[in-house]
Amino acid sequence: MELLDSLNNIFCKVFDDDTIKITLEMTANDIDGWDSLSHVNLITAVESHFKIRFTQKELLTLRNVGDLFKTIKCKIEE
Amino acid sequence: MTFNSLSYFIFLPLVFLVFYVTKDRSRWVVLLAASYGFYATFKAPELLLALVLVTVISFTCGTQLSRTTNESRRKLILWMGITLCILILAVIKYLPLLVNTQPSTSIFVSIGVSYFTFQAISYLADIFLEIQDPEHHLGYHALYLAFFPKLLQGPIERAHALLPQLKQPYRFDYDSMRYGILLFTWGLFKKVVVADRLALYTNTVYSDVHSYHGLAVIIGTYAYALQIYFDFAGYTDMARGTAKMFGINLSENFNKPYLSTSVADFWRRWHISFSSWILDYIFKPLQMAWRDRGHFGTSLALIVTFLVSGIWHGASLGFIIWGGLHGAYLASSTYYRPYQRRLHKWLKIDKSGLLRAWQVFVTFNLVSFAWIFFRAKSVSDACDLIRNIMDFDNSHNIQQITFGKYLKDNIFLGHGDHNFIVTVSVLTIILTVNLLKSRCNIYKYNLAVRWSIYYILVISIVLFGVFKGDSFVYFKF
Repeated sequence: MELLDSLNNIFCKVFDDDTIKITLEMTANDIDGWDSLSHVNLITAVESHFKIRFTQKELLTLRNVGDLFKTIKCKIEE
Repeated sequence: MTFNSLSYFIFLPLVFLVFYVTKDRSRWVVLLAASYGFYATFKAPELLLALVLVTVISFTCGTQLSRTTNESRRKLILWMGITLCILILAVIKYLPLLVNTQPSTSIFVSIGVSYFTFQAISYLADIFLEIQDPEHHLGYHALYLAFFPKLLQGPIERAHALLPQLKQPYRFDYDSMRYGILLFTWGLFKKVVVADRLALYTNTVYSDVHSYHGLAVIIGTYAYALQIYFDFAGYTDMARGTAKMFGINLSENFNKPYLSTSVADFWRRWHISFSSWILDYIFKPLQMAWRDRGHFGTSLALIVTFLVSGIWHGASLGFIIWGGLHGAYLASSTYYRPYQRRLHKWLKIDKSGLLRAWQVFVTFNLVSFAWIFFRAKSVSDACDLIRNIMDFDNSHNIQQITFGKYLKDNIFLGHGDHNFIVTVSVLTIILTVNLLKSRCNIYKYNLAVRWSIYYILVISIVLFGVFKGDSFVYFKF
Protein backbone atom coordinates (compact mmCIF):
# COMPACT_ATOMS: atom_id res chain seq x y z
CA MET A 1 0.00 0.00 0.00
CA GLU A 2 3.01 2.24 0.61
CA LEU A 3 3.83 2.07 -3.10
CA LEU A 4 0.26 2.98 -4.07
CA ASP A 5 0.34 5.97 -1.65
CA SER A 6 3.60 7.21 -3.14
CA LEU A 7 2.14 6.83 -6.63
CA ASN A 8 -0.98 8.71 -5.50
CA ASN A 9 1.19 11.61 -4.26
CA ILE A 10 2.91 11.75 -7.64
CA PHE A 11 -0.47 11.88 -9.43
CA CYS A 12 -1.60 14.74 -7.13
CA LYS A 13 1.59 16.69 -7.79
CA VAL A 14 1.69 16.15 -11.57
CA PHE A 15 -2.00 16.90 -12.16
CA ASP A 16 -2.05 19.68 -9.55
CA ASP A 17 -5.01 18.20 -7.68
CA ASP A 18 -4.79 17.07 -4.03
CA THR A 19 -8.16 15.33 -4.16
CA ILE A 20 -7.02 12.54 -6.53
CA LYS A 21 -7.46 9.04 -5.10
CA ILE A 22 -6.12 6.52 -7.57
CA THR A 23 -7.36 2.95 -7.98
CA LEU A 24 -5.80 0.18 -10.05
CA GLU A 25 -8.66 0.22 -12.60
CA MET A 26 -8.41 3.96 -13.30
CA THR A 27 -7.50 5.14 -16.80
CA ALA A 28 -6.63 8.54 -18.27
CA ASN A 29 -10.37 9.17 -18.77
CA ASP A 30 -10.91 9.17 -15.00
CA ILE A 31 -8.38 11.86 -14.08
CA ASP A 32 -8.79 15.46 -15.17
CA GLY A 33 -5.74 16.65 -17.09
CA TRP A 34 -4.27 13.18 -17.74
CA ASP A 35 -3.94 13.16 -21.52
CA SER A 36 -1.31 12.10 -24.03
CA LEU A 37 0.54 15.41 -23.60
CA SER A 38 0.73 15.36 -19.79
CA HIS A 39 1.35 11.58 -19.61
CA VAL A 40 5.07 12.13 -20.17
CA ASN A 41 5.25 14.35 -17.03
CA LEU A 42 3.75 11.52 -14.99
CA ILE A 43 6.25 9.01 -16.39
CA THR A 44 9.32 11.22 -15.77
CA ALA A 45 8.07 12.03 -12.24
CA VAL A 46 7.60 8.29 -11.49
CA GLU A 47 11.04 7.44 -12.92
CA SER A 48 12.73 10.15 -10.92
CA HIS A 49 10.90 9.31 -7.64
CA PHE A 50 11.48 5.54 -7.76
CA LYS A 51 14.86 5.84 -9.52
CA ILE A 52 13.83 3.43 -12.27
CA ARG A 53 13.84 3.55 -16.07
CA PHE A 54 10.95 2.16 -18.15
CA THR A 55 11.60 0.56 -21.53
CA GLN A 56 9.73 1.77 -24.64
CA LYS A 57 7.80 -1.49 -24.74
CA GLU A 58 6.69 -1.12 -21.10
CA LEU A 59 5.57 2.45 -21.73
CA LEU A 60 3.64 1.63 -24.89
CA THR A 61 1.68 -1.20 -23.28
CA LEU A 62 0.47 0.69 -20.17
CA ARG A 63 -3.33 0.75 -20.24
CA ASN A 64 -4.31 1.83 -16.70
CA VAL A 65 -3.01 2.71 -13.24
CA GLY A 66 -2.82 -1.01 -12.41
CA ASP A 67 -0.40 -1.66 -15.31
CA LEU A 68 1.77 1.25 -14.15
CA PHE A 69 1.68 0.02 -10.55
CA LYS A 70 2.66 -3.55 -11.54
CA THR A 71 5.51 -2.35 -13.77
CA ILE A 72 6.91 -0.11 -11.00
CA LYS A 73 6.66 -2.99 -8.49
CA CYS A 74 8.53 -5.36 -10.83
CA LYS A 75 11.23 -2.74 -11.48
CA ILE A 76 11.77 -2.03 -7.77
CA GLU A 77 11.95 -5.73 -6.92
CA GLU A 78 14.45 -6.47 -9.72
CA MET B 1 -17.59 2.34 -57.53
CA THR B 2 -18.21 4.71 -54.65
CA PHE B 3 -20.91 4.70 -51.96
CA ASN B 4 -22.85 7.48 -53.67
CA SER B 5 -22.81 5.84 -57.11
CA LEU B 6 -25.79 4.05 -58.66
CA SER B 7 -23.80 0.83 -59.14
CA TYR B 8 -23.25 0.59 -55.36
CA PHE B 9 -27.02 0.46 -54.86
CA ILE B 10 -27.06 -2.70 -57.02
CA PHE B 11 -23.79 -4.14 -55.64
CA LEU B 12 -24.70 -3.86 -51.94
CA PRO B 13 -28.05 -5.77 -51.97
CA LEU B 14 -26.53 -8.43 -54.24
CA VAL B 15 -23.57 -9.00 -51.90
CA PHE B 16 -25.89 -9.07 -48.91
CA LEU B 17 -28.15 -11.64 -50.60
CA VAL B 18 -25.24 -13.98 -51.37
CA PHE B 19 -23.82 -13.42 -47.86
CA TYR B 20 -27.21 -14.20 -46.31
CA VAL B 21 -27.72 -17.52 -48.13
CA THR B 22 -24.12 -18.68 -47.52
CA LYS B 23 -23.20 -20.79 -44.49
CA ASP B 24 -21.22 -19.13 -41.68
CA ARG B 25 -18.00 -21.01 -42.35
CA SER B 26 -17.86 -19.65 -45.93
CA ARG B 27 -19.13 -16.14 -45.37
CA TRP B 28 -15.61 -14.72 -45.20
CA VAL B 29 -15.14 -15.92 -48.80
CA VAL B 30 -18.20 -13.92 -49.92
CA LEU B 31 -17.02 -10.77 -48.14
CA LEU B 32 -13.42 -11.15 -49.37
CA ALA B 33 -14.50 -11.75 -52.98
CA ALA B 34 -16.91 -8.78 -52.76
CA SER B 35 -14.15 -6.58 -51.29
CA TYR B 36 -11.62 -7.45 -53.99
CA GLY B 37 -14.34 -7.08 -56.66
CA PHE B 38 -15.30 -3.68 -55.21
CA TYR B 39 -11.64 -2.57 -55.29
CA ALA B 40 -11.22 -3.90 -58.84
CA THR B 41 -13.95 -1.53 -60.10
CA PHE B 42 -11.38 1.29 -59.88
CA LYS B 43 -9.61 -0.43 -62.81
CA ALA B 44 -6.16 -0.03 -61.24
CA PRO B 45 -4.37 -3.40 -61.08
CA GLU B 46 -1.48 -1.83 -59.15
CA LEU B 47 -3.86 -1.09 -56.25
CA LEU B 48 -5.00 -4.71 -56.09
CA LEU B 49 -1.37 -5.83 -56.26
CA ALA B 50 -0.50 -3.46 -53.39
CA LEU B 51 -3.37 -4.90 -51.33
CA VAL B 52 -2.21 -8.47 -51.96
CA LEU B 53 1.43 -7.62 -51.16
CA VAL B 54 0.61 -5.77 -47.92
CA THR B 55 -1.65 -8.69 -46.91
CA VAL B 56 1.04 -11.33 -47.54
CA ILE B 57 3.83 -9.27 -45.91
CA SER B 58 1.86 -8.47 -42.74
CA PHE B 59 0.54 -12.04 -42.48
CA THR B 60 4.02 -13.58 -42.87
CA CYS B 61 5.77 -11.12 -40.53
CA GLY B 62 2.95 -11.42 -37.96
CA THR B 63 3.24 -15.21 -37.92
CA GLN B 64 7.04 -15.06 -37.71
CA LEU B 65 6.87 -12.57 -34.82
CA SER B 66 4.90 -15.04 -32.75
CA ARG B 67 7.37 -17.86 -33.45
CA THR B 68 10.41 -16.27 -31.84
CA THR B 69 11.19 -14.89 -28.41
CA ASN B 70 14.56 -13.46 -29.41
CA GLU B 71 14.06 -9.71 -28.98
CA SER B 72 16.55 -8.58 -31.65
CA ARG B 73 15.06 -10.99 -34.18
CA ARG B 74 11.57 -9.78 -33.33
CA LYS B 75 12.70 -6.18 -33.86
CA LEU B 76 14.22 -7.13 -37.21
CA ILE B 77 10.99 -8.81 -38.36
CA LEU B 78 8.89 -5.86 -37.17
CA TRP B 79 11.03 -3.27 -38.97
CA MET B 80 11.26 -5.40 -42.09
CA GLY B 81 7.46 -5.70 -42.24
CA ILE B 82 6.89 -1.99 -41.55
CA THR B 83 9.54 -0.88 -44.08
CA LEU B 84 8.11 -3.06 -46.84
CA CYS B 85 4.57 -1.79 -46.18
CA ILE B 86 5.73 1.85 -46.19
CA LEU B 87 7.73 1.22 -49.36
CA ILE B 88 4.61 -0.07 -51.14
CA LEU B 89 2.62 2.93 -49.91
CA ALA B 90 5.36 5.35 -51.04
CA VAL B 91 5.66 3.74 -54.48
CA ILE B 92 1.90 3.86 -55.10
CA LYS B 93 1.30 7.28 -53.54
CA TYR B 94 4.35 9.37 -54.30
CA LEU B 95 6.09 7.79 -57.32
CA PRO B 96 3.48 9.02 -59.82
CA LEU B 97 3.97 12.54 -58.44
CA LEU B 98 7.75 12.32 -58.89
CA VAL B 99 7.60 10.76 -62.35
CA ASN B 100 4.89 13.08 -63.74
CA THR B 101 5.60 16.76 -63.40
CA GLN B 102 1.89 17.39 -63.98
CA PRO B 103 -0.30 16.17 -61.09
CA SER B 104 -2.60 13.31 -62.03
CA THR B 105 -6.16 14.30 -62.82
CA SER B 106 -7.46 11.13 -61.18
CA ILE B 107 -7.98 11.25 -57.44
CA PHE B 108 -8.23 7.45 -57.43
CA VAL B 109 -4.51 7.05 -58.08
CA SER B 110 -3.82 5.64 -54.59
CA ILE B 111 -7.31 5.20 -53.19
CA GLY B 112 -7.41 2.99 -50.09
CA VAL B 113 -3.68 2.13 -49.98
CA SER B 114 -2.91 4.42 -47.00
CA TYR B 115 -5.73 2.92 -44.98
CA PHE B 116 -4.94 -0.78 -45.37
CA THR B 117 -1.20 -0.08 -45.01
CA PHE B 118 -1.82 1.71 -41.70
CA GLN B 119 -3.91 -1.24 -40.51
CA ALA B 120 -1.10 -3.63 -41.45
CA ILE B 121 1.47 -1.55 -39.56
CA SER B 122 -0.67 -1.33 -36.41
CA TYR B 123 -1.29 -5.10 -36.65
CA LEU B 124 2.48 -5.82 -36.70
CA ALA B 125 3.28 -3.27 -33.95
CA ASP B 126 0.57 -4.72 -31.68
CA ILE B 127 1.88 -8.26 -32.16
CA PHE B 128 5.38 -7.00 -31.36
CA LEU B 129 4.09 -5.30 -28.20
CA GLU B 130 2.30 -8.56 -27.32
CA ILE B 131 -1.11 -6.91 -27.08
CA GLN B 132 -2.43 -8.77 -30.15
CA ASP B 133 -2.21 -12.41 -31.19
CA PRO B 134 -1.30 -13.07 -34.83
CA GLU B 135 -4.07 -14.24 -37.16
CA HIS B 136 -3.26 -17.71 -38.49
CA HIS B 137 -6.00 -17.81 -41.13
CA LEU B 138 -4.85 -15.98 -44.27
CA GLY B 139 -8.45 -15.51 -45.45
CA TYR B 140 -9.58 -13.68 -42.31
CA HIS B 141 -6.38 -11.63 -42.27
CA ALA B 142 -6.96 -10.62 -45.92
CA LEU B 143 -10.56 -9.69 -45.06
CA TYR B 144 -9.39 -7.64 -42.05
CA LEU B 145 -7.37 -5.47 -44.44
CA ALA B 146 -9.79 -5.49 -47.40
CA PHE B 147 -13.33 -5.41 -45.86
CA PHE B 148 -15.03 -3.21 -48.47
CA PRO B 149 -17.04 -0.78 -46.26
CA LYS B 150 -13.82 0.60 -44.75
CA LEU B 151 -11.39 -0.16 -47.61
CA LEU B 152 -11.35 3.20 -49.40
CA GLN B 153 -11.35 5.73 -46.60
CA GLY B 154 -11.34 3.94 -43.26
CA PRO B 155 -12.09 3.94 -40.38
CA ILE B 156 -8.62 2.50 -39.72
CA GLU B 157 -9.60 -0.51 -37.62
CA ARG B 158 -7.33 -2.23 -35.07
CA ALA B 159 -7.11 -6.00 -35.35
CA HIS B 160 -8.53 -6.63 -31.86
CA ALA B 161 -11.66 -4.64 -32.76
CA LEU B 162 -12.43 -6.04 -36.23
CA LEU B 163 -10.99 -9.58 -36.54
CA PRO B 164 -13.20 -11.21 -33.86
CA GLN B 165 -16.30 -9.62 -35.45
CA LEU B 166 -15.44 -11.05 -38.87
CA LYS B 167 -15.36 -14.54 -37.36
CA GLN B 168 -18.56 -14.40 -35.35
CA PRO B 169 -21.61 -16.22 -36.76
CA TYR B 170 -24.13 -13.98 -38.52
CA ARG B 171 -27.75 -13.90 -37.42
CA PHE B 172 -30.17 -11.61 -39.21
CA ASP B 173 -31.28 -8.88 -36.84
CA TYR B 174 -34.04 -6.51 -37.94
CA ASP B 175 -32.87 -3.68 -35.63
CA SER B 176 -29.28 -3.84 -36.90
CA MET B 177 -30.44 -3.86 -40.52
CA ARG B 178 -32.77 -0.90 -39.91
CA TYR B 179 -30.04 1.00 -38.05
CA GLY B 180 -27.54 0.24 -40.84
CA ILE B 181 -29.87 1.46 -43.61
CA LEU B 182 -30.79 4.61 -41.67
CA LEU B 183 -27.12 5.39 -40.90
CA PHE B 184 -26.23 4.87 -44.56
CA THR B 185 -29.06 7.19 -45.70
CA TRP B 186 -28.10 9.79 -43.09
CA GLY B 187 -24.51 9.64 -44.39
CA LEU B 188 -25.78 10.10 -47.97
CA PHE B 189 -27.76 13.15 -46.80
CA LYS B 190 -24.63 14.62 -45.18
CA LYS B 191 -22.70 14.07 -48.39
CA VAL B 192 -25.04 15.13 -51.20
CA VAL B 193 -27.28 17.62 -49.43
CA VAL B 194 -24.82 19.30 -47.05
CA ALA B 195 -21.19 18.73 -48.15
CA ASP B 196 -21.73 18.97 -51.91
CA ARG B 197 -23.93 22.06 -51.46
CA LEU B 198 -21.26 23.75 -49.32
CA ALA B 199 -18.71 22.79 -51.99
CA LEU B 200 -20.45 25.22 -54.37
CA TYR B 201 -19.37 28.12 -52.13
CA THR B 202 -15.92 26.72 -51.32
CA ASN B 203 -15.09 26.02 -54.96
CA THR B 204 -16.23 29.48 -56.05
CA VAL B 205 -13.78 31.21 -53.69
CA TYR B 206 -10.88 28.76 -53.91
CA SER B 207 -10.91 28.51 -57.71
CA ASP B 208 -10.62 32.29 -58.15
CA VAL B 209 -8.78 33.56 -55.07
CA HIS B 210 -7.99 37.02 -56.47
CA SER B 211 -11.63 37.97 -56.96
CA TYR B 212 -12.79 37.47 -53.37
CA HIS B 213 -12.05 39.58 -50.30
CA GLY B 214 -13.10 40.04 -46.68
CA LEU B 215 -16.39 38.39 -45.77
CA ALA B 216 -16.47 36.28 -48.98
CA VAL B 217 -13.16 34.60 -48.07
CA ILE B 218 -14.34 34.02 -44.50
CA ILE B 219 -17.58 32.43 -45.79
CA GLY B 220 -15.64 30.29 -48.32
CA THR B 221 -13.23 29.12 -45.59
CA TYR B 222 -15.91 28.37 -42.99
CA ALA B 223 -17.87 26.59 -45.76
CA TYR B 224 -14.82 24.39 -46.43
CA ALA B 225 -14.38 23.59 -42.73
CA LEU B 226 -17.98 22.37 -42.66
CA GLN B 227 -17.80 20.75 -46.13
CA ILE B 228 -14.82 18.53 -45.28
CA TYR B 229 -16.47 17.54 -41.99
CA PHE B 230 -19.83 16.57 -43.51
CA ASP B 231 -18.14 14.93 -46.50
CA PHE B 232 -15.95 12.73 -44.31
CA ALA B 233 -18.52 12.17 -41.56
CA GLY B 234 -21.07 11.31 -44.28
CA TYR B 235 -18.70 8.77 -45.79
CA THR B 236 -18.01 7.26 -42.35
CA ASP B 237 -21.74 6.94 -41.63
CA MET B 238 -22.21 5.18 -44.99
CA ALA B 239 -19.28 2.85 -44.23
CA ARG B 240 -20.56 2.10 -40.72
CA GLY B 241 -24.11 1.69 -42.00
CA THR B 242 -22.98 -0.80 -44.67
CA ALA B 243 -20.91 -2.80 -42.16
CA LYS B 244 -23.81 -2.86 -39.69
CA MET B 245 -25.98 -4.61 -42.32
CA PHE B 246 -23.45 -7.47 -42.16
CA GLY B 247 -23.49 -7.41 -38.34
CA ILE B 248 -20.13 -5.61 -38.05
CA ASN B 249 -19.55 -2.51 -35.90
CA LEU B 250 -16.93 -0.13 -37.29
CA SER B 251 -15.40 2.64 -35.15
CA GLU B 252 -16.81 6.16 -34.83
CA ASN B 253 -14.50 8.61 -36.61
CA PHE B 254 -15.99 11.91 -35.37
CA ASN B 255 -17.33 13.26 -32.11
CA LYS B 256 -18.59 16.83 -32.70
CA PRO B 257 -15.08 18.06 -33.61
CA TYR B 258 -16.06 21.71 -34.04
CA LEU B 259 -17.20 21.86 -30.42
CA SER B 260 -13.61 21.24 -29.29
CA THR B 261 -12.24 23.63 -26.69
CA SER B 262 -8.60 23.28 -27.80
CA VAL B 263 -6.64 21.95 -30.77
CA ALA B 264 -5.61 18.92 -28.65
CA ASP B 265 -9.32 18.32 -27.97
CA PHE B 266 -10.02 18.70 -31.73
CA TRP B 267 -7.61 15.85 -32.50
CA ARG B 268 -9.41 13.63 -29.99
CA ARG B 269 -12.67 14.24 -31.91
CA TRP B 270 -11.59 14.54 -35.58
CA HIS B 271 -10.79 11.49 -37.77
CA ILE B 272 -10.44 9.56 -34.51
CA SER B 273 -9.19 6.30 -36.05
CA PHE B 274 -6.37 8.19 -37.81
CA SER B 275 -5.49 10.54 -34.93
CA SER B 276 -5.35 7.65 -32.45
CA TRP B 277 -3.17 5.75 -34.96
CA ILE B 278 -0.60 8.57 -35.27
CA LEU B 279 -0.80 9.08 -31.50
CA ASP B 280 -0.07 5.42 -30.71
CA TYR B 281 2.45 4.58 -33.43
CA ILE B 282 4.30 7.88 -34.11
CA PHE B 283 3.78 10.41 -31.31
CA LYS B 284 3.98 8.19 -28.20
CA PRO B 285 7.20 6.33 -29.21
CA LEU B 286 8.87 9.67 -30.09
CA GLN B 287 7.57 11.42 -26.97
CA MET B 288 8.81 8.62 -24.71
CA ALA B 289 12.17 8.37 -26.48
CA TRP B 290 12.68 12.13 -25.96
CA ARG B 291 11.13 12.33 -22.48
CA ASP B 292 14.37 13.49 -20.83
CA ARG B 293 14.19 16.71 -22.87
CA GLY B 294 11.06 17.89 -21.02
CA HIS B 295 8.62 20.16 -22.85
CA PHE B 296 11.00 20.45 -25.77
CA GLY B 297 10.91 16.66 -26.35
CA THR B 298 7.10 16.60 -26.36
CA SER B 299 6.94 19.66 -28.64
CA LEU B 300 9.40 18.12 -31.09
CA ALA B 301 7.46 14.83 -31.09
CA LEU B 302 4.25 16.76 -31.84
CA ILE B 303 5.80 18.73 -34.69
CA VAL B 304 7.37 15.61 -36.27
CA THR B 305 4.08 13.67 -35.89
CA PHE B 306 2.00 16.36 -37.56
CA LEU B 307 4.55 16.95 -40.32
CA VAL B 308 4.31 13.22 -41.09
CA SER B 309 0.53 13.56 -41.04
CA GLY B 310 0.81 16.46 -43.51
CA ILE B 311 3.07 14.48 -45.85
CA TRP B 312 0.69 11.51 -45.58
CA HIS B 313 -2.10 13.73 -46.94
CA GLY B 314 0.00 14.57 -50.00
CA ALA B 315 3.43 15.49 -51.27
CA SER B 316 2.72 19.20 -51.50
CA LEU B 317 3.89 22.20 -49.48
CA GLY B 318 0.28 23.12 -48.58
CA PHE B 319 -0.30 19.82 -46.71
CA ILE B 320 3.09 20.11 -44.98
CA ILE B 321 2.24 23.66 -43.79
CA TRP B 322 -1.19 22.41 -42.64
CA GLY B 323 0.47 19.63 -40.61
CA GLY B 324 3.17 22.03 -39.35
CA LEU B 325 0.51 24.51 -38.17
CA HIS B 326 -1.30 21.84 -36.14
CA GLY B 327 2.07 20.67 -34.77
CA ALA B 328 2.92 24.26 -33.81
CA TYR B 329 -0.51 24.86 -32.18
CA LEU B 330 -0.07 21.74 -30.04
CA ALA B 331 3.65 22.25 -29.32
CA SER B 332 3.05 25.80 -28.07
CA SER B 333 0.16 24.59 -25.90
CA THR B 334 2.52 22.27 -23.97
CA TYR B 335 4.26 25.44 -22.71
CA TYR B 336 1.32 27.75 -21.97
CA ARG B 337 -1.42 25.20 -21.06
CA PRO B 338 -0.42 24.65 -17.40
CA TYR B 339 -0.28 28.44 -16.78
CA GLN B 340 -3.56 28.94 -18.66
CA ARG B 341 -5.30 26.32 -16.47
CA ARG B 342 -3.96 27.95 -13.30
CA LEU B 343 -5.06 31.40 -14.51
CA HIS B 344 -8.58 30.14 -15.25
CA LYS B 345 -8.77 28.54 -11.79
CA TRP B 346 -7.44 31.68 -10.11
CA LEU B 347 -10.00 33.81 -11.94
CA LYS B 348 -12.65 31.20 -11.03
CA ILE B 349 -13.78 30.98 -14.67
CA ASP B 350 -12.59 27.41 -15.31
CA LYS B 351 -16.18 26.11 -15.25
CA SER B 352 -17.68 29.12 -17.06
CA GLY B 353 -19.89 28.49 -20.09
CA LEU B 354 -18.73 31.76 -21.59
CA LEU B 355 -15.09 30.66 -21.41
CA ARG B 356 -16.03 27.38 -23.05
CA ALA B 357 -17.85 29.21 -25.88
CA TRP B 358 -14.82 31.46 -26.39
CA GLN B 359 -12.48 28.44 -26.49
CA VAL B 360 -14.74 26.70 -29.05
CA PHE B 361 -14.74 29.87 -31.21
CA VAL B 362 -10.94 30.26 -31.04
CA THR B 363 -10.31 26.56 -31.78
CA PHE B 364 -12.71 26.58 -34.76
CA ASN B 365 -10.90 29.60 -36.20
CA LEU B 366 -7.43 28.10 -35.65
CA VAL B 367 -8.52 24.89 -37.38
CA SER B 368 -10.24 26.82 -40.21
CA PHE B 369 -7.11 28.92 -40.73
CA ALA B 370 -5.05 25.74 -41.20
CA TRP B 371 -7.69 24.38 -43.64
CA ILE B 372 -6.84 27.29 -45.99
CA PHE B 373 -3.45 25.67 -46.76
CA PHE B 374 -5.11 22.27 -47.01
CA ARG B 375 -7.71 23.38 -49.56
CA ALA B 376 -5.95 26.06 -51.63
CA LYS B 377 -4.45 24.92 -54.93
CA SER B 378 -1.03 26.30 -53.96
CA VAL B 379 0.71 28.05 -51.07
CA SER B 380 0.67 31.30 -53.03
CA ASP B 381 -3.14 31.00 -53.41
CA ALA B 382 -3.40 30.36 -49.65
CA CYS B 383 -1.25 33.44 -48.87
CA ASP B 384 -3.37 35.58 -51.23
CA LEU B 385 -6.54 34.40 -49.48
CA ILE B 386 -5.11 35.21 -46.04
CA ARG B 387 -4.14 38.69 -47.26
CA ASN B 388 -7.61 39.12 -48.78
CA ILE B 389 -9.39 38.18 -45.52
CA MET B 390 -8.24 41.48 -44.01
CA ASP B 391 -9.30 43.44 -47.09
CA PHE B 392 -12.92 44.37 -46.41
CA ASP B 393 -12.67 47.60 -48.43
CA ASN B 394 -12.01 45.77 -51.68
CA SER B 395 -14.38 47.59 -53.95
CA HIS B 396 -12.31 50.80 -54.06
CA ASN B 397 -15.58 52.65 -54.54
CA ILE B 398 -17.58 51.13 -51.74
CA GLN B 399 -20.04 54.04 -51.59
CA GLN B 400 -21.53 53.01 -54.92
CA ILE B 401 -22.26 49.45 -53.83
CA THR B 402 -25.83 48.67 -52.92
CA PHE B 403 -26.72 46.28 -50.11
CA GLY B 404 -28.19 43.85 -52.67
CA LYS B 405 -24.99 43.73 -54.68
CA TYR B 406 -22.92 43.30 -51.51
CA LEU B 407 -25.06 40.31 -50.52
CA LYS B 408 -24.86 38.83 -54.02
CA ASP B 409 -21.07 39.17 -54.32
CA ASN B 410 -19.88 38.53 -50.77
CA ILE B 411 -22.42 36.21 -49.17
CA PHE B 412 -24.33 34.40 -51.94
CA LEU B 413 -21.05 34.20 -53.90
CA GLY B 414 -22.99 34.25 -57.16
CA HIS B 415 -25.21 31.25 -56.29
CA GLY B 416 -28.44 33.20 -55.74
CA ASP B 417 -30.59 33.73 -52.67
CA HIS B 418 -32.56 30.46 -53.16
CA ASN B 419 -29.38 28.37 -52.93
CA PHE B 420 -28.20 30.35 -49.92
CA ILE B 421 -31.49 29.92 -48.04
CA VAL B 422 -31.50 26.16 -48.74
CA THR B 423 -27.87 25.87 -47.57
CA VAL B 424 -28.48 27.81 -44.34
CA SER B 425 -31.69 25.84 -43.62
CA VAL B 426 -30.00 22.50 -44.26
CA LEU B 427 -27.06 23.48 -42.05
CA THR B 428 -29.36 24.62 -39.24
CA ILE B 429 -31.28 21.32 -39.40
CA ILE B 430 -28.21 19.09 -39.49
CA LEU B 431 -26.35 20.96 -36.73
CA THR B 432 -29.46 20.78 -34.51
CA VAL B 433 -29.90 17.05 -35.24
CA ASN B 434 -26.18 16.48 -34.50
CA LEU B 435 -26.57 18.22 -31.15
CA LEU B 436 -29.79 16.40 -30.21
CA LYS B 437 -28.83 12.97 -31.62
CA SER B 438 -27.32 11.70 -28.40
CA ARG B 439 -30.34 12.90 -26.39
CA CYS B 440 -33.25 11.47 -28.38
CA ASN B 441 -33.66 8.02 -29.82
CA ILE B 442 -35.60 7.91 -33.08
CA TYR B 443 -36.69 4.30 -32.43
CA LYS B 444 -38.65 5.37 -29.34
CA TYR B 445 -41.12 7.29 -31.51
CA ASN B 446 -44.23 5.60 -32.89
CA LEU B 447 -44.41 4.12 -36.38
CA ALA B 448 -45.99 7.18 -38.03
CA VAL B 449 -43.35 9.61 -36.70
CA ARG B 450 -40.50 7.24 -37.58
CA TRP B 451 -41.67 6.70 -41.14
CA SER B 452 -42.32 10.42 -41.59
CA ILE B 453 -38.68 11.03 -40.65
CA TYR B 454 -37.50 8.34 -43.11
CA TYR B 455 -39.59 9.87 -45.93
CA ILE B 456 -38.45 13.41 -45.18
CA LEU B 457 -34.82 12.22 -45.25
CA VAL B 458 -35.17 10.49 -48.62
CA ILE B 459 -37.24 13.29 -50.18
CA SER B 460 -34.69 15.87 -48.93
CA ILE B 461 -31.90 13.92 -50.61
CA VAL B 462 -33.82 13.87 -53.89
CA LEU B 463 -34.98 17.51 -53.73
CA PHE B 464 -31.98 19.26 -52.21
CA GLY B 465 -29.09 16.96 -53.10
CA VAL B 466 -26.35 18.22 -55.41
CA PHE B 467 -25.73 15.39 -57.88
CA LYS B 468 -22.60 16.30 -59.78
CA GLY B 469 -20.84 12.98 -59.24
CA ASP B 470 -18.45 14.59 -56.73
CA SER B 471 -16.29 12.01 -55.00
CA PHE B 472 -15.34 12.16 -51.35
CA VAL B 473 -12.59 14.61 -50.31
CA TYR B 474 -10.58 12.01 -48.39
CA PHE B 475 -10.42 9.50 -51.30
CA LYS B 476 -7.20 11.11 -52.50
CA PHE B 477 -5.43 10.46 -49.19
